[in-house]
Amino acid sequence: MKRRVVLVDDHGLFLAGVRAELGDAVDVVGEAGTVAEAVSLIKDVDPDVVLLDVHLPDGSGDTIINAVAPDRPGVKFLALSVSDAAEDVIAVIRAGARGYVTKTIAPDELAAAIERVAQGDAVFSPRLAGFVLDAFRAGEHVAGDEELNELTPREREVLQLIARGYMYKEIAARLHISAKTVESHVSSVLRKLQLSTRHELTRWATQHRLV
Amino acid sequence: MPLPSFTTNADERALAGVCAGIAQALGVDVTLVRVVFALLALAGGAGIVLYVALWVWSRSDRAWWAAILLLVAGALLLGAVGVSDRAVVGIVLVAGGLTLAWRRGGGFRPDAPFSLGGVLIAGLGAVILLQNGSAPSRVLAPGAVAGALLLIAGPWLWRLALERDAERAARIRTEERADVATRVHDSVLQTLALIQRHAEEPRRVASLARRQERELRGWLYADQPLGEDTSSLLAALSAAAADVEELYGVRVEIASAGDATPDGALVLAAREAMTNAAKFAGVEEIDVYAEVGEDEVAVFVRDRGVGFDPAAIPDGRQGVRESIKGRLERAGGTAVVTSTPGEGTEVELRMRR
Repeated sequence: MKRRVVLVDDHGLFLAGVRAELGDAVDVVGEAGTVAEAVSLIKDVDPDVVLLDVHLPDGSGDTIINAVAPDRPGVKFLALSVSDAAEDVIAVIRAGARGYVTKTIAPDELAAAIERVAQGDAVFSPRLAGFVLDAFRAGEHVAGDEELNELTPREREVLQLIARGYMYKEIAARLHISAKTVESHVSSVLRKLQLSTRHELTRWATQHRLV
Repeated sequence: MPLPSFTTNADERALAGVCAGIAQALGVDVTLVRVVFALLALAGGAGIVLYVALWVWSRSDRAWWAAILLLVAGALLLGAVGVSDRAVVGIVLVAGGLTLAWRRGGGFRPDAPFSLGGVLIAGLGAVILLQNGSAPSRVLAPGAVAGALLLIAGPWLWRLALERDAERAARIRTEERADVATRVHDSVLQTLALIQRHAEEPRRVASLARRQERELRGWLYADQPLGEDTSSLLAALSAAAADVEELYGVRVEIASAGDATPDGALVLAAREAMTNAAKFAGVEEIDVYAEVGEDEVAVFVRDRGVGFDPAAIPDGRQGVRESIKGRLERAGGTAVVTSTPGEGTEVELRMRR
């Protein structure tokens, strides 16, 4: 069954481009250009996945997630952005998005990312993986919940390979683990990214751009 | 002049609500205002006249009456504190004249006839004052004249200053606009022109657009052209990537964890690895990842292209052997090339910090 997808972006040209690129891979059930439009549209059509621009004319992506999530817990969000402050990308992910990809992503990879997010997995672009590695630096001990504030060596390895441009199945082959295990490591990192109290995250994000 | 707005307050009034209104406008206790008026009323009844004047003034259509009453109140006040009649007349003329000049001009403006008339009356008052022999007026009169002049000229100067600030802000905006226009012309418009001329060559068009995108981002977000930041490994790699993109029409995605001072050999080796991938791998996209650790910097250049057998690099393929491995090893680093035919290649460059 094709995934039902809502596109949220204020650039009409870009929306048209994404729709054309995705083609038959997914079923685009709606498009919105503002926070207000997006919230009511998503509540109306209850899609599987929302492709979300980080910046909109009347607010940011995390506002939409916060407004929709309580009513539509089944809707998954994937941030799709051309170039943004890491701060905003992290805000969207911490609000509950299942991942972040850049707008330069190839069409087939975007379709794969949508499918992965729809199944409840996480999607990291190489840049986001680099960011997480930087923000969760090894050896820096942080007070608080250690489980949430540290990455395991295995998670670090997986993220490193994502940053180097490896796809999940390539990572699985390299580390001699199953693709499902790779998925679960990435989901675990996503959870840490969302729940960690590491102040490094905020500090890092205010200083960087995921260009 | 921006006087604090004032309306009588009917809810808390004792008489017409003037005191309550003033108290509200100034944000003070109404009793305090009433005491002040009571004290002034003792000064020859000035407080009472002042009260009436303010009440009249609060009905704005009778502003002239209010002004005259104000002058009367002022005259009574001056008389009460022992200023001679002659001085009082002088001061009233100065105040009245200046008020006239003020009200008609909305500020002192030499071109408004009422302004001029007012100034003349004020001048006459000043002359009367200065001819007056009594002691208090010798002190009072020049002070009153100076104060009144300040009242008139002050707001005018203030407005001049505001206008100058506004002009400066506008000028800065214009300059910024010109700067943006220049940059857009030098970069974006030139690129668009090139794209139109090369519309038949998709690879060239893509690489032009990509390079322009990089430049624009470098300017918008880093506030400097890429490649000019000599303190950042990331900037150096981005500049190298931009060159490779332009030369070979590929896309280079750069990710990083951390940043460091760039090492010349490392950046050149990375550039060579990107060039090789662009030339031989037969792919559209190359991934570059830089990781800055405690004591080591690692750069990974990866493609998902045709790959090759590293053991069988012909001697003629100087790229890998010399430009990458040799260069880096001479500088104290290491280079490892991993490649599998059909699955792509990764060059792993490491350098101690």
